[in-house]
Amino acid sequence: MGEIVRYKRDVWGQEVILGVSWDLLWVVAVAVLVLLAAHAIIMAALANKKMDMPSAEGRRVSRHEAIDRAFHWIMALAIFALIITGVTPILGLRFAWLNLHWISGLILTFVVVFHIIRSLFWQDFKSMILGPKDFGEPFDSSLKPGKYSFEQKGMHWAVTIVALTVIATGVLLFMQIDTPFWDRTNSMPESTLGLVFLLHGLSTLALIALAATHIYFALRPEKLFYTRSMFQGWISEDEMKANHDPSKWAPKEAE
Amino acid sequence: MVATTHDVMPDIELYQPTDEANALSLASTLGEDGWLLAGGQDTYGWLKDRNKSPAAMIELTKIDAWKGVRETANGIEIGALTTLTEIINDPLIKSRYGLLSMAASRVASPQIRNVGTLAGNLAQDARCWYYRRGLDCYRAGGNLCYADAPESLNREHALFGQSRCVAVSPSDTAPALVALDATLVISSERGQRRVAAEDFFVGPAVDIEHMTILRPGEILTSVLLPNSWANAEFYFEKVADRNVWDFALVSVAAAMKVSDGTIQDARLACGAVEAKPRRLTAVESALRGKPRNEATANQVASIATQGARPLNYNHFKVPLMENLVKRAIRG
Repeated sequence: MGEIVRYKRDVWGQEVILGVSWDLLWVVAVAVLVLLAAHAIIMAALANKKMDMPSAEGRRVSRHEAIDRAFHWIMALAIFALIITGVTPILGLRFAWLNLHWISGLILTFVVVFHIIRSLFWQDFKSMILGPKDFGEPFDSSLKPGKYSFEQKGMHWAVTIVALTVIATGVLLFMQIDTPFWDRTNSMPESTLGLVFLLHGLSTLALIALAATHIYFALRPEKLFYTRSMFQGWISEDEMKANHDPSKWAPKEAE
Repeated sequence: MVATTHDVMPDIELYQPTDEANALSLASTLGEDGWLLAGGQDTYGWLKDRNKSPAAMIELTKIDAWKGVRETANGIEIGALTTLTEIINDPLIKSRYGLLSMAASRVASPQIRNVGTLAGNLAQDARCWYYRRGLDCYRAGGNLCYADAPESLNREHALFGQSRCVAVSPSDTAPALVALDATLVISSERGQRRVAAEDFFVGPAVDIEHMTILRPGEILTSVLLPNSWANAEFYFEKVADRNVWDFALVSVAAAMKVSDGTIQDARLACGAVEAKPRRLTAVESALRGKPRNEATANQVASIATQGARPLNYNHFKVPLMENLVKRAIRG
């Protein structure tokens, strides 16, 4: 316990990086659990017993198009499969995980590339930009966001950075194994390989923490309408007005 | 850690239990730190080169209950600590399961067979020389295979089932036990579990750091050979660089039930082509109902090597394996 990086001797006897220390998995698990539990307790203590929840009835506005919902759930499944196939063997479960892992990784890569292209050319990319003004939002209840809140933008960009790191390092590692597309060359220098494994491991740990946090907030009672919108595509006009500024986000009516 | 010096023997706690309960209790208590020692022919190489340094060793050779050959209602039971020489000479094994005797007689050298046990031969570690040299490869917990790089010397390595690691199963008795449809008894403080010989071995796709499904605290205690394959027609052949004291380049073990010249049932397995004995189920299916002769051998043998992925220096194993299978079928 206590180390972050594992080292080994290369073929010449020199010390090189082997990868991340998987003791950190427990540190991350405990830290996330404690933080989310603390948040849940504080929120429960602060909650007004007769909390005014906006009604889900009435006029509905569109929040997520079907194609974006499909992207979200395919990405979620791919990340879930990657975490399960990548982490459970480290915890001692024995199964042929590697093929499942790289297939899930390829799926994630394709949907992320698709999302990047779509968000740049077909979606309102500006609605996700995190600007200096957004940082005042959590401290001023009169400030309401456009389509995405400060927390949602923060989570999105954190996941973006971590997912792109895990994908980039994953692709490099993918090239080091035999696949139906190529035979491995085993030619990457050991020190570089170790660094790639380290970054892949660290980004995996971050992804686990972010996924757990995301699931927690998706299940919070006051955020459930967002989760519903990720299934059904809409939120009610009441929910929109209670949480968003219509001058910054003017969605069309849901079909 | 690469061995660079040969100093004195490292400190190791030595336990010498004399009964099963004590051995199982020690294995459970020591877990991963308890290195099981029988004949020592795998162990001493590791220790001599300073490439493994167990904290404690549990010597099992004083446990008589795990030695010897006994007849049972369903076949015979061989204590896992029975030496290979005893297996070669045992009249029950020789008369009913000659395949195992033949395979055991091809292990290493007479001196090694005198002390080496069946359990040791089955559960021995990979002999990939990069791994045994002490390099931090995949099998040693690293993230690289030194045996499958452009300049690697890999003529002894795998044709099948490579998943990052390309080491092969070095055991001569393992393919014989797979062909005989043996059951292996694994004991621990929690009780016993029985697994088919075929399922006892594990490839790198599932567990890259171990050759078998044995977990810390578990001991392979006996091997059961079923009546169903007693007195079948057997064939074993091993090709190695030397006839004595060498590991197989390819070996084949075959058991066939033949009636009026027609193969009713067959089980074949090859050694040294994969990290576990490679059972040739497609060949077995193709053989059923066919006469045991040269024509059948020529017709079927090539099925054995379908899906092979040779490395830089082991392409010769493909025709070698095919020819051994042909000879096994021809008899």
